[in-house]
Amino acid sequence: MGLVAVERPKPKTHTVIIEGMRFQPESLTVARGDTIVWVNKDMFPHTATSEGGRFDSQSIQAEKSWTFTAGKKGEFAYTCTFHPTMKAVLYVK
Amino acid sequence: MKTAAVTVAVAGVFLLPVAGPSAQGVNDAQIASTVVTANQVDIDAGRLAASRSTNGEVKTFARLMVTDHTGVNKSATDLAAKLKVTPQDNPTSQSLKADGDKNLAHLKTLKGTAFDKAYIDHEVAYHQQVIDALDRTLIPGATNEELKALLVKVRPAFVAHLEHAKRLQASAAPKG
Repeated sequence: MGLVAVERPKPKTHTVIIEGMRFQPESLTVARGDTIVWVNKDMFPHTATSEGGRFDSQSIQAEKSWTFTAGKKGEFAYTCTFHPTMKAVLYVK
Repeated sequence: MKTAAVTVAVAGVFLLPVAGPSAQGVNDAQIASTVVTANQVDIDAGRLAASRSTNGEVKTFARLMVTDHTGVNKSATDLAAKLKVTPQDNPTSQSLKADGDKNLAHLKTLKGTAFDKAYIDHEVAYHQQVIDALDRTLIPGATNEELKALLVKVRPAFVAHLEHAKRLQASAAPKG
């Protein structure tokens, strides 16, 4: 089964719930190629916007979601541009 | 004027009639009315500020208030309809409305930085007042679990709005 060792792991899908003015989890570690889905469970729009401009969901309406596939390694602090008190971080290994 | 109006509104929170089934003396129909009124008052002030303010940050905040409180009100009215609860006028909702009307009338007499200051000062007082009402009366008083859950869920938004308004208030204050 030597081949298994050189195969890249299958990409996973992770979910971040936006509810009560928080990203949950506030810290998430994923692998390159993984997909992250932000689901807005609040009653009004939010965004998931990285500070360095790596990703920006724009407005995610109530009960809607936004999907992003992590392509580059790094630490990405992000916020909601509408509600800057909301902060979280995405680590891409 | 502003302080007096806020005092009246805050006093209203404590003057609820002992009519409801909860220890806080407020029933779910009254809570629904208070929530809808509280949001509507801030939507009206936000609409005025979004059109009248000349400060970009104040305009952005005002538009956010309109968007967020409209979203909360949609959820609240949808839930009230689902639960077949008809919002019922009460001293808290009445004082919120009276304070909101007084605030709008006052704001309409102002322009420029005086307008911005009065709007933001009132937003700080208003959000603090609603958070106090949520903590003391509305959340403990709600008997229906879904209504209580909605109030709990919405509380952090009022806290974030309060912080946002306080930040604008501090940045507008004269620098020493």
